[in-house]
Amino acid sequence: MTKFRAVVKREYVQRVRSRMFVIVTVGAPLMFALFTVVPILIANIKTGGPTRVAVVDESGRMFARVRDSLKSAQPARDDDDDEAPAAAQGAMNQNTRARMEQAAKAAAQSFEVEEVPAGGGTPEEVRARLDGRVGRDELNGYLVLPRDVLSGGEVQFYTRNVGDVFTRGQVRGAVVRAVRDARLDERGVNAEVMRAVNQPVRMKTAKAGGGGETDRGQGFFLVFGAGFVIYLTILMYGQVVLGAVIEEKETRIAEILFSSIRPFTLMTGKLVGVSLVALTQFAIWGLALVGLGAYFAGRGASVAIPQVSLGVYACVVLFFLMGYFIYATLYALVGSMVTTSQEGGQLGMPIILLLVVGFYLAFPVIRSPNSSFAVWVSLVPFFAPITMLIRIVSQEPPAWQIALSLGLGFATVAAMLWLAGRVYRVGMLMYGKRATIPEVLKWMRQP
Amino acid sequence: MTKRFGEFTAVDSLSLTVRAGRIFGLLGPNGAGKTTTIRMIVGITRPDEGTLELFGQPVTPELQNRIGYLPEERGLYKRMRVGDQLKFFAELKGFSGRAADEALDRWFEKVKLSDWKRRKASELSKGMQQKVQFIAAVLHDPDLLILDEPFSGLDPVNVELLKDLVLELKEAGKTIIFSTHQMEVAERVCDDICLVNRSRKVLSGSIREVKSGFGRNAVALRFEGDDGVLEDTRLVASVERHSDDLEALLAPGADAQELLGRLLAAGARVSRFELVEPSLHDIFIEKVGGE
Repeated sequence: MTKFRAVVKREYVQRVRSRMFVIVTVGAPLMFALFTVVPILIANIKTGGPTRVAVVDESGRMFARVRDSLKSAQPARDDDDDEAPAAAQGAMNQNTRARMEQAAKAAAQSFEVEEVPAGGGTPEEVRARLDGRVGRDELNGYLVLPRDVLSGGEVQFYTRNVGDVFTRGQVRGAVVRAVRDARLDERGVNAEVMRAVNQPVRMKTAKAGGGGETDRGQGFFLVFGAGFVIYLTILMYGQVVLGAVIEEKETRIAEILFSSIRPFTLMTGKLVGVSLVALTQFAIWGLALVGLGAYFAGRGASVAIPQVSLGVYACVVLFFLMGYFIYATLYALVGSMVTTSQEGGQLGMPIILLLVVGFYLAFPVIRSPNSSFAVWVSLVPFFAPITMLIRIVSQEPPAWQIALSLGLGFATVAAMLWLAGRVYRVGMLMYGKRATIPEVLKWMRQP
Repeated sequence: MTKRFGEFTAVDSLSLTVRAGRIFGLLGPNGAGKTTTIRMIVGITRPDEGTLELFGQPVTPELQNRIGYLPEERGLYKRMRVGDQLKFFAELKGFSGRAADEALDRWFEKVKLSDWKRRKASELSKGMQQKVQFIAAVLHDPDLLILDEPFSGLDPVNVELLKDLVLELKEAGKTIIFSTHQMEVAERVCDDICLVNRSRKVLSGSIREVKSGFGRNAVALRFEGDDGVLEDTRLVASVERHSDDLEALLAPGADAQELLGRLLAAGARVSRFELVEPSLHDIFIEKVGGE
């Protein structure tokens, strides 16, 4: 047991102390921040004063509405947008769209609106004069509302900076609202009534027969997030385990180690040591996230914490550990068979494949979490970490299935560790040559 | 003990007895099975046939703690501080805490590496690394020390340093198994030897016994006069001539005194007459090289 502890301690201390650990621990969140916070900050940079817009109201009765609407400007929603091609909208995923809106909101700016009488010459003369003022930077742009604006006439917005999508969006939004309100008024519908009618309808999905309070959607995101984290962690720390096993082979330290410690103990110690490194990293990130959340909550932003039962959290942790150990052991097994890191990389490819398959199996399981397919898949150790978690949050499977899945998983870990230790010990005695599968099978039987 | 790898028998029915408190040389050419034998002793592999006892008990993982092992293929964690990894190796032998720290300082002092304790292994020269590896084998104060080619690649100064340390350990009552194919080193250090070749034991015993049992009787000679005596095959088996003296290998059962008497009787003026012991090197060549 003291030997086991010595191995764990060495793996942990050496890795946590390494420059790489510090770089990844600090660097990863920084990168994350760079990609989420910085765009907002940049969008927030206000250049110049309020946006000066002139309005040429050919209809003669829209100016006041458009002005008020611009003063309380909000960007146009995508569903109002007939300008952006539908394909582009589809290509823009939810995330980007949300971020754009967020950025636009942050960029919401004030407007200075002035009326330009439409009667001061032909429309061309009016436009030429306004173009001149835009050119001299007295104006940022001007709107031309046609006579038939309420019955579908095209509104023109001439601006110095056509590329400024935020301003364009805000102007659009303001005009759309003004025109809609005017149309409603025309038909005798009070704008207030209309707003009440347009109230969004909210829908909540809850499990039938349950208490009804638990929002399964949040649990689902938690699980998907966990699945993703499992995926990343395994990729990252699986390689670490692989490297650790090969290092001792390449440097020939293994021979000293095996004269002191049993291969199984060594392997287990390594895996536990590396897992503690991973957990330390996550703890640091978790704390940073909580800190950040508190900071933003303090500034009035709403911070959502998934509201799921403690049992689900416990399952997430358990299956996370199981997934890590299963794949890390696979990597250890690969490491014990090869002699160089390059070979390890090649032989490690099937593991990644297995991992990817496991990840994609999540989708059929989401659709029918209690089908026999889902049940079987969630019992297979290599796929269970993600698929069983999904079943747990969607339609809670019987407890015995969860227990069986965990039992099978950890039994697999123990068996593979034993195997890896065995292959490692025998494989070490023949340097310079990769073990073939028949050889490995033979070594397993060797005393 | 017998150990096979597939079709290949690495060690074939080898029997060894290592006496406590002595230095035992496991000698033989490359590929003779020395390292496999050692790996069985330290518990890395188990013999396919035969048994192994250490300190009068069957080998158990606990007994491994009383063994110190310097493998021929040796390495260090490159990015780990030398002191830290030595403490780790000692901890794997169940030796830790204050005692380990003190022993560590003592050994660093002995091999003159005290300034390097906090450096990473990759910063050390090869010779320094070898001394560090030696410390790894002895730090936990083992009763049995196994050194596989301990001096290969070392400069003469460090060979002397390590040799003295090994002798010091012997004085302290430790048992040392010493594997090498460098016969000159073995001759100077070992009390007992076992020569293995092609997986089998060729001869064993104390150096004295081995040499006298070798049954080779040679005389180094320098004289002026009639050398007709040397032609007598009942007395002299063969003669090897060097620049100004010669070495005569006596025939089985012949007496060196008789040769001297016959030479003097023939009127030769003898300026050198010396009984030459076979060196381990000679024995090695004779037993191994002839095949």
